[in-house]
Amino acid sequence: MRAARLRRRTVLGLLLAASVLAASPSLALAATVPVRVRIIKGSRQGPPTVDPKLADLQGQLGRLAYQRWDQVVEQRAEMDFNKPLSITLPDGAILELVLVDARKDTVTFEVKVPARKTHSRLTIAKDQRIVHQVTSETNGDAFFATVRPWP
Amino acid sequence: MEADDLALISRAKAGEAEAFRALVVRYQRKVYAVALGIVKDRDLAWDVSQEAFVRVHAHLADFKGESSFSTWVLRIGSHLAIDALRRERTSSKEELEEVGDLDLAAGGEGILATGLGNDPQQNLLRRELATQMTQALAQLPEKHRTILVLREVEGLSYEELSERLEIPKGTVMSRLFHARTKMQALLRRYAGIKAADDDQAAASAGRGLVPRRRGDS
Amino acid sequence: MNPCLRFAPMIGARPGELPDGDARALADHLAACPACMARAADADALAGLLSESLLAEANARDFSTFSDEVLAKIPSYREAAAGRRGTSNRPADGLWSWIRHHRLATALGTLAPALAALALVVYVDRGRGGPGPDDVLVQVTAEGGSATVLETSDGPVVLFGDDEPAGT
Repeated sequence: MRAARLRRRTVLGLLLAASVLAASPSLALAATVPVRVRIIKGSRQGPPTVDPKLADLQGQLGRLAYQRWDQVVEQRAEMDFNKPLSITLPDGAILELVLVDARKDTVTFEVKVPARKTHSRLTIAKDQRIVHQVTSETNGDAFFATVRPWP
Repeated sequence: MEADDLALISRAKAGEAEAFRALVVRYQRKVYAVALGIVKDRDLAWDVSQEAFVRVHAHLADFKGESSFSTWVLRIGSHLAIDALRRERTSSKEELEEVGDLDLAAGGEGILATGLGNDPQQNLLRRELATQMTQALAQLPEKHRTILVLREVEGLSYEELSERLEIPKGTVMSRLFHARTKMQALLRRYAGIKAADDDQAAASAGRGLVPRRRGDS
Repeated sequence: MNPCLRFAPMIGARPGELPDGDARALADHLAACPACMARAADADALAGLLSESLLAEANARDFSTFSDEVLAKIPSYREAAAGRRGTSNRPADGLWSWIRHHRLATALGTLAPALAALALVVYVDRGRGGPGPDDVLVQVTAEGGSATVLETSDGPVVLFGDDEPAGT
């Protein structure tokens, strides 16, 4: 009897644990998410300068070999889930950004560059930014997209 | 930058823990004050300001001395404080930042300057107001509280505020105006001075403090 | 329009922060407007009070343990940062645990075409509990090429694999 009760408790405990583990760990998704997207250009040549508008990206850009950074385009949008935001890149290619998930502390985006057949899925903390190369390097220049939720 | 800041930084970079501790002790209260002004919560401000120093230590090798150490650690601290607020926030609804006639009336005119003398060390009302200030600050909406602290305590310029908060310069100015107006309205009851007294405001304009900051060069 | 509406937001500007024309206009207005002159005096007073009050709060708090606590946190921050910098490339094991964590149908629907064109998968797994504020989940597919992911505390940097990622 006691063993049976123990087994039942164990099973109930496991069921409870399983239901907790299987449950979505966080809150209901927000309806839309404000996002700031910038297209920036990194250059290996030219005077080593960083556009003051890009000061907040210093931590990430500083890791790269490009010595000059300029902001080219900025776009802000309220993104709906799973609805692509298309941005035309300076070389004419299209960048697609999709908001996939947003939870209490994290956001997940897909960044697609069809011309390069590159598809990235990135989950970041709400106070982080994505920096994603979006064009191949040509003559020492390359373009990147930066994505910031809740700017 | 204090000359011995450089010496301490140099020794801290070489791995001397006590040199870094000396830097922490020198700036801990200022960093905490800025964090507290932004996040309101004392425990969170404590954690944020500690994290600022931990991150500073991790990036000591990157510190080139282009700005002062205090500017650097304060910048990291206020970044972390703003990020801590963002994690709590689930939506950001932008309110209008325009200035209207009602806004001009809300803050009153000469409220603080009227009540305060020129000698901060002897003015009782000033001390009383200062003690009420943090309570009033905590009642401000987050964006007004943040911009006031960044401007008046960390000392950021309009351009730096525009970059930090990712808002246009015009919005910086109007948001500061609204923040000051709301603070003054909150402090009105502590100062016990009515905003609508035109005579008092006119008289105070004549003996008001000489403004330190103006747009003229 | 009430001229004060134009000038009130300019009050508190420091030298050089306003265009010359606006600065002159503001000075002229302040000379003629007692109300705005009083607002300017209040802005100055507020600035001083704000600093004083926050520093007074800080001075009232016991900081005797602060630096000890900071120094004690440094090693674990370093370890966490070192752990984030190490790129873990366990595609098979990590990928399936990532899928189990996220909604299965969405994951399969997203991954199927990507897997079909797969040239390289770069996957960084930061634990089964799901990403926390310090965790990043990254999945990159780059057909016909490669990709590199740099992890920083500010967020990931994704590079096409042909390019040299690191700075000096």
